Amino acid sequence: MSKLLKVFLIASFAVASFSAKAVTVASWGGAYTESQQKAYADTYTDPGSIQFENYNGGLGEVRAQVESGSVTWDLVDALPGDAITGCDEGLFEDITTEIADLSTPGPDGETMLEDMENNGLEYHSGWDCCVPQIFWTYVVFYDPDAFPGDKPSSMADFFDVEKFPGKRGIHTWATGIVEKAMVADGVKPSAVPTVLRDQTGALDRAFAKLDTIKDHIVFWSSGAKPLELVKSGEVVMSIAYNGRVGAANLAEGENFEYIWEGQVLDQEYLCLVAGAPNRDAAVDFMMHASTPEAQAEQAKYITYGPMRASGIPIIQANEPWGPGGVDIMPHMPNTPERLKVSIVSDPQWWSDNGAEINERYSAWMGN
Amino acid sequence: MPIGDMLLRSVDDTQINTVFPNTFEEYKKWDKEQDQLPPEEVYKALFQELAYGNKIQVGRALTRMNYSKSGWKSLIKNTSRAIKKAVKKDEFPDSYKDFLIAANEKWADPTFWYAMGQMVNNQTPIYYYNAIDMTYDQDQNVIRQKENRRVYVQTWIKTLKVSVYVTFFCLILGFPVAHLLANLPLRYSNLLMIFVLLPFWTSLLVRTTAWIVMLQQQGVINGILVWLGILSDDGRLSMVYNETGTLIAMTQILLPFMILPLYSVMRVIPKSHMRAAQNLGAKPATAFWKVYLPQTIPGMSAGGLLVFVLAIGYFITPELVGGKDGKLIGSWIAYHLKTTLNWGLCAALGAILLAVMLIFYWLYNKIVGIDNIKLG
Repeated sequence: MSKLLKVFLIASFAVASFSAKAVTVASWGGAYTESQQKAYADTYTDPGSIQFENYNGGLGEVRAQVESGSVTWDLVDALPGDAITGCDEGLFEDITTEIADLSTPGPDGETMLEDMENNGLEYHSGWDCCVPQIFWTYVVFYDPDAFPGDKPSSMADFFDVEKFPGKRGIHTWATGIVEKAMVADGVKPSAVPTVLRDQTGALDRAFAKLDTIKDHIVFWSSGAKPLELVKSGEVVMSIAYNGRVGAANLAEGENFEYIWEGQVLDQEYLCLVAGAPNRDAAVDFMMHASTPEAQAEQAKYITYGPMRASGIPIIQANEPWGPGGVDIMPHMPNTPERLKVSIVSDPQWWSDNGAEINERYSAWMGN
Repeated sequence: MPIGDMLLRSVDDTQINTVFPNTFEEYKKWDKEQDQLPPEEVYKALFQELAYGNKIQVGRALTRMNYSKSGWKSLIKNTSRAIKKAVKKDEFPDSYKDFLIAANEKWADPTFWYAMGQMVNNQTPIYYYNAIDMTYDQDQNVIRQKENRRVYVQTWIKTLKVSVYVTFFCLILGFPVAHLLANLPLRYSNLLMIFVLLPFWTSLLVRTTAWIVMLQQQGVINGILVWLGILSDDGRLSMVYNETGTLIAMTQILLPFMILPLYSVMRVIPKSHMRAAQNLGAKPATAFWKVYLPQTIPGMSAGGLLVFVLAIGYFITPELVGGKDGKLIGSWIAYHLKTTLNWGLCAALGAILLAVMLIFYWLYNKIVGIDNIKLG
């Protein structure tokens, strides 16, 4: 065996045994994971013990790991629907008692879960296995230069191609857009989830509203696309993840305007994989990452909102909070006044009906 | 092995049967003609199996049940909570039926009970039916899916169409290039070969993005055409975020898979054959058609099969450039694998995909003969 090969083998063993002790967090990569690294890992007592790995969302890999018994991830950054299903299926471990005992309470002594409820959230079974991260939203944005006269300001305007001619950018799956269509159709944002859940024919109504702009849509499927679409003038306004728009405004000197009315807030969790190799260290890190301070810290690096209500006052009190002395609050989706005109997406309803609605949405797109 | 596992999964429903064995046993005795709702015994069995069942197993069952009808998940979860509360207090109802209906009125909705019928057997063809937009009605007759949910048949057709077109375009574009490569002097052909291989080595995403820049309405090609006065500013062509975009991008990406086999076959065809044919009085076109072309068939077949097989499973490029037409069958497999965790349906879609490829392979074997494939 050549010397080089030996060195290489030893080195790889060394790396392997080193990484076996580190808590592995599967997350989405890019600017988002970078913000987690800075806000959660770098502020942790032992930053070196946290390792991020990229994944593409969904529970496919987690289920494969758990079913085959070779779990390599400790924590997964999961969407609320996946948090619920993963917890129900036992892919994530139920840590209700540890969350109750070890999580940091809010400034007025409210528990972490109460703190989340103060932000307009309702309990779902994902809360048994996961700790809160951030609010991200489907928000409509536009380039003000594209509208010399009146500027669009509501969901009704987004769906009104007479008043504001031009194409709209919309994503190729149904979450978020169904709720927005309901708002454009005259439902009060805060009432949308209840209407969708309880009124028969509510979905038909949403799809009928979507029909009215169908010929004016450019569909996108990856998060960077809507910014390109609006920048190049391919569309006049688009739905996007608010963090992407915030980054364009803060870091790239763009001047995009948001339409906060009818934004759809979605949640993001950090969940403990069942059979995680470094379980206890992972739980400890979860508790650190879900403190109000850590959540507020993350907003410095990406414009997603803390899911604990008590994170917002920390940002407000310390503006300019952003790097280079910029104010972050103008880009935060969950300020109290914005919450009033927002929809908080109902993950349990989506987890019940998501597959069927997405099939319907695809059939609608294709016809 | 993995293929066998996939085929098993596509018909397997044992997992749910281990969670609700008694309920399903009682369910089979329900006479749907006579009673609108199942008898008390079914409710009782369900109550007990939810009360004493393993939480995780029930959780897994929920994912499965939700495929048969949307809404099972929260229905069972809410009910379980109510049941566990009652059991904790040692309160057992006189009528389990009334208890469940009081806990959630959906237990009085026969459509949920009808949907349960899909799951009572250990093996089920339902995933295959779902994969072609069919489902069961209340009496287990196979019927078509609700109209606004029919997506798979149209996706299958679109996938096949795109694959056939892409193969065809690759052949049309690849043939002259391969011919040129095979007949130029070595130093020129080497240079040309690099031009063929360079994009081949470039990342798929880079090439896809490059096509978007070229083709979009405010993009390079439209810009030049408007500048030249061929198009008016309002009449810009939409060449991307639709099927055209998918075809253009996929053809370019898969082109090397056509050119390389063609090239290696063409290189060994002696040039003297064409000269001899023309010497014997054939016009160049006839000589090409009768002498040259037949000798390239092995290359065309190898390239064609390669491109077709790759195209039929493609999904990243079409999703990026295809807009609303960009969802091919591969996207659905990925969606169900990751998001809905409906691996049964994934397996069924995969099995059908495999079958389609085998059919094409068989047809090909009938028409051209598999021994005829050559990579050089």
